[in-house]
Amino acid sequence: MIPAGLSFEQAPPISVPFRFFLTAPWFLLAAGLLLVFSGPEMMLSRHMPATLAATHLLTLGFTSMVMCGALMQMLPVVAGSPVPFPRAVAWGVHVPLTLGAAGVAAAFLADSGPLMHGAAGLAGAAFAVFIAAAAWGLARVTSHSPSAPAMGLATAALLATAALGLALGIARYGGFALPYGQLASLHPLWGLYGWTTLLVIGVAYQVVPMFQLTPNYPPLLTRWLAGTLFLLLVLRTAAEFLPLPDWLPGLGLAAGAAVFAVTTLKLQARRKRKIGDTTLLFWRIGMGLLLAACALWPAILLLPEEAGEKARLLLGVIALPGFILAVINGMLYKIVPFLAWFHLQSRYAGQVTIPNMKQFQPDKPARFQLGLYLAALALLAIAVFHPPLARAAGLLWAANALALGWNLVRAAHLYRRTAHVALEKKSD
Amino acid sequence: MRERLLDVRELEPPEPLERVLEVLDTLAPDERIRLLHRREPHLLYPILHQEGFSWRCDPTPEGEFVILIWRKN
Repeated sequence: MIPAGLSFEQAPPISVPFRFFLTAPWFLLAAGLLLVFSGPEMMLSRHMPATLAATHLLTLGFTSMVMCGALMQMLPVVAGSPVPFPRAVAWGVHVPLTLGAAGVAAAFLADSGPLMHGAAGLAGAAFAVFIAAAAWGLARVTSHSPSAPAMGLATAALLATAALGLALGIARYGGFALPYGQLASLHPLWGLYGWTTLLVIGVAYQVVPMFQLTPNYPPLLTRWLAGTLFLLLVLRTAAEFLPLPDWLPGLGLAAGAAVFAVTTLKLQARRKRKIGDTTLLFWRIGMGLLLAACALWPAILLLPEEAGEKARLLLGVIALPGFILAVINGMLYKIVPFLAWFHLQSRYAGQVTIPNMKQFQPDKPARFQLGLYLAALALLAIAVFHPPLARAAGLLWAANALALGWNLVRAAHLYRRTAHVALEKKSD
Repeated sequence: MRERLLDVRELEPPEPLERVLEVLDTLAPDERIRLLHRREPHLLYPILHQEGFSWRCDPTPEGEFVILIWRKN
């Protein structure tokens, strides 16, 4: 039983998540433009400075930006536990993360040690504030939602990713004798698989049944999957330093992600409402790409070195601009209109006509953006093997980012206009 | 106390919340809502609190939720 009298401040002000959601598309645009300007050289290897810069524009500027905002919003909703001082925390995360993401990308491009140290410090500070606030909220969870433990593990993985990233920043420019090769292989593993994929899993337990009207995920899966994957990440990390086989936990991680993807696709096939929408399409595409990544990952181990680098670059494309961007993009199209509607409803109900979800996010422009996204992703995947196409792929990514940004800004604008009308009526 | 049954289990957000808010407007002092929901409606609680309603949420063995809602006075 939940007692009456929970705080009215349970849901944070809309400005808290919206500042993150409305900032993210411009980092996606920056990554697209970087691809236009740097072109084919970015397709040579994952370790080219421009490729690293674009990757960090996506991971720090887009995915982490959205995920921090979404988690601050979702903790009160799914776990019954608000983040403390939401406005102050939002400032403390958003400003340094924005500067840090731009700074890290600039530092790779300029090959500047001082800039890298400053920018990595800013991103680290943003994550420190976020992790402290999320841990505070997660420690006070009142509901039995299966999402909360997965979100906790994702937050712990963010701590590992940030620590590894800081160590890499120091090792790259500081002249310290740190094992750069090992750190460079673990940092993306913890970032993409730990922080991002575990959070996607935790969020999916909640949003897939809720917004897509599917049955719940099987309890066996929600109870064991996230914890097992986290343990496998720890084992895979230990294998870098101890005489353990690294392929074994690697295979387990690929299999675990595949189980999640197949379960999600099966649940979506059993959804109660048969009308599809753009979010559903984005999620189905995302799960298909996750399955492709799970198949490619073990196969790479069998390839010779030179072919292996191209395959690793392709794996990166399938995992980050593919799977991760697709599910985040799809989720934005539910969460942004829902929050806009919800905040207007809870504040101004009865004073003004509140637009419905479809008015905040009409399907047609969202589908147009989905088309741009698919074209951009396909061209980028082809450009891995045919680098002269890289600039054209960059143009499509930039167009895709503008379309997404435009759709989100339009929803925020409708929110603001409606709230403004309500306030004017009140003052009359 | 008379009871009004509201089953929102097959509705997509934000329809469950919309339907509850519609019924709240017309709820008499001697009535209560029995709300059947697939998820625990955490976003509803602050609104109920603000509008002067009390509530009780019980999970069912099937993993769903029954929420009873009534006017405070």
